Amino acid sequence: MFTEIIEILDRFLSFFEQSLAFLGHHLFLIFGLLAIVASVTMVFAKNAVHSVLAFLATMICTAACYFTLQAEFLAVAQLLVYAGGIVVLFLFVVMLVELSRFKENRLFQRQTPLAMFVVLLGVVGFLTMFRRLIFAPSASEALTLSPELAEGLDVAGQNAQAISRGMFTGYLLPFETMSVILLIALIGAVVLAKQERV
Amino acid sequence: MPFAQALWESLARDSRLVTPVILLWLAGTLMLWPLGSLLLKRMPKDRWAFFTVAILLLSGWFVINTPNAIGFADMFRVDGVTKGFQILCIAAGILTVALGRQQLGALKEHSVEYYSLIIFSISGMLLLVGATDLVSIYFAVELMALCVYILVGYLRTQERAVEASIKYFLLGAFSSGILLFGISLIFAATGGTTTNLERLGQAIALAPGNQDLLVFSGVLMVLIGFAFKVAAVPFHMWSPDAYEGAPTPVTAFMSMAPKAAALAAFIRIFGTGFNGVAENWIAPLSFIAAASMILGNIAAFKQQSIKRMLAYSSIGHVGYMLLGVLAMDSQAGAQAVWFYMMTYLFMQAGAFAIVIYLQGANEGERIEDFKGLAKRRPLLAFAMMVFMLSLAGIPPLLGFFSKFYLFRLAIIEGYITLTVIALLTSAAAAYYYLNVVAQMYFKEPGEAAPPPVCICTKAIVALCSAVLLVGTAFGPWIMDWVGKIVWG
Repeated sequence: MFTEIIEILDRFLSFFEQSLAFLGHHLFLIFGLLAIVASVTMVFAKNAVHSVLAFLATMICTAACYFTLQAEFLAVAQLLVYAGGIVVLFLFVVMLVELSRFKENRLFQRQTPLAMFVVLLGVVGFLTMFRRLIFAPSASEALTLSPELAEGLDVAGQNAQAISRGMFTGYLLPFETMSVILLIALIGAVVLAKQERV
Repeated sequence: MPFAQALWESLARDSRLVTPVILLWLAGTLMLWPLGSLLLKRMPKDRWAFFTVAILLLSGWFVINTPNAIGFADMFRVDGVTKGFQILCIAAGILTVALGRQQLGALKEHSVEYYSLIIFSISGMLLLVGATDLVSIYFAVELMALCVYILVGYLRTQERAVEASIKYFLLGAFSSGILLFGISLIFAATGGTTTNLERLGQAIALAPGNQDLLVFSGVLMVLIGFAFKVAAVPFHMWSPDAYEGAPTPVTAFMSMAPKAAALAAFIRIFGTGFNGVAENWIAPLSFIAAASMILGNIAAFKQQSIKRMLAYSSIGHVGYMLLGVLAMDSQAGAQAVWFYMMTYLFMQAGAFAIVIYLQGANEGERIEDFKGLAKRRPLLAFAMMVFMLSLAGIPPLLGFFSKFYLFRLAIIEGYITLTVIALLTSAAAAYYYLNVVAQMYFKEPGEAAPPPVCICTKAIVALCSAVLLVGTAFGPWIMDWVGKIVWG
């Protein structure tokens, strides 16, 4: 009796362990799927607040994806900036702005069949692409990252260092350009919102 | 610290390549603060036009004196093509500022921000035409386009301006997403090592066979992203609305500068980066070029608004210029496109100067408003005729030579069908251009007395028609000089 219970518990534990290991190996896929589900929810949610919450879930799942790829810095930045800052702003805006007026407004209804067709075409195209990529004979070889990049992943411990080096050496010009782009966004907000001009 | 020292040395070496850009960034920022909002607050706002022109001229001088080199970890390259297109963008900026001064003054919509946005947009174009890496290309495109989105909605009290701006912004953001997705697919397909165009060209050739589809979809998406930016059919939907809704000087700007810069990047990407996988993009691009020529020119027929007509005709012109991208020889293609863009810039600037004059005269922007212009303002009407005939490519005007060299290149490269389509559509296009001329010369004018012509309009019209007429005399030789500029 006692041994049987132990055996069942043991089996259960090993099954649990195995499934945990399975999950651990496929965390990226799981969080990726969750992110997709959340983003679809965001698009189709009737209530704007639900939509924003789904957006938050998408952002957190994306951050988790970065974690599984050992890009800790990116993941933390994603959590801080998007999940922490931007989504809260969105929530504020949604709560301040009266959205009930737009509820009955069914925009773009005429184009729905065409849009469905295009989306189906895209889905079929991408499924074909993934099938050919994943089940092709030399797939395992082609899908592995190049040695140089794999080395980069080995030093994932110094993730922030690697990113900062990239920003100030190889990617200096795009990085500086991006700072100007942010400035333009600021100017644009002022130009479009300022009351009088003279 | 060896790392910091090496960083500093490479920065000192590379920053010479982008002196004009740094100048524009500094000037654009200083204009906002402290000059515009603190030190020169009392200065009349339209003076900033002169300041902007001076800054642009100075940056043009810097462009000419930049050494030919590659820098920023192979992300930016200065050569003849870069310099040639950079000068075109700066010239377009100067013409825009001159075009807009009077109209913005009449609308009481002058502000420092307008000029600084133009400066920042041009800095993005200067970066774009020299960019040799998909990452730097993407950021330069964004910098260039973001400023133009804002400028389109600049007259934010007008409903159609806001509508045009939002439409343009949403579609532009969408196309940027497609462009970025395409870049990431190519990056993955080539092993995730490089985004540099030259190395990418080699890596694509070495990519394993089962990556074909990945490369194909990536190249196609980059193609779509750029077709959006140059407003080629079937990705042209935003262009007529954005052209109509934007303030007219900004419309002129949109039809000249971003197109020149995007076409230069187009040639660089597809000429050097994706040269090895030409079979992936030749057919779609040929389709895009042919569709742009046909649809752009046919749709221009029935337009009542001259701004919409010029928008559709610019779609047609982009179709012609894509012939230069299709020519796999990127130097010769760049040369022909540069020459075409140069003449197109002067024709557009001149035509828009006259449209702005008519708008200032409280007449709308409909083609009917041109009626009888020959009786009221014979010189302006003559200049408009020159611009229209040149846009139609009627010999012996300069517009004919630019078309001639482009079509000759296309024939040499073996695109016979496309060239035939181009010839037929440009013959058909003569109809709607000549319609404007007929309105001016064969219709009776309205009663109202013609308003005075502002000095800026006079200067631009005189400059543009002089370039076109004098250039006509040197048409047969001009290509050699262009060659000297573009080959560097």
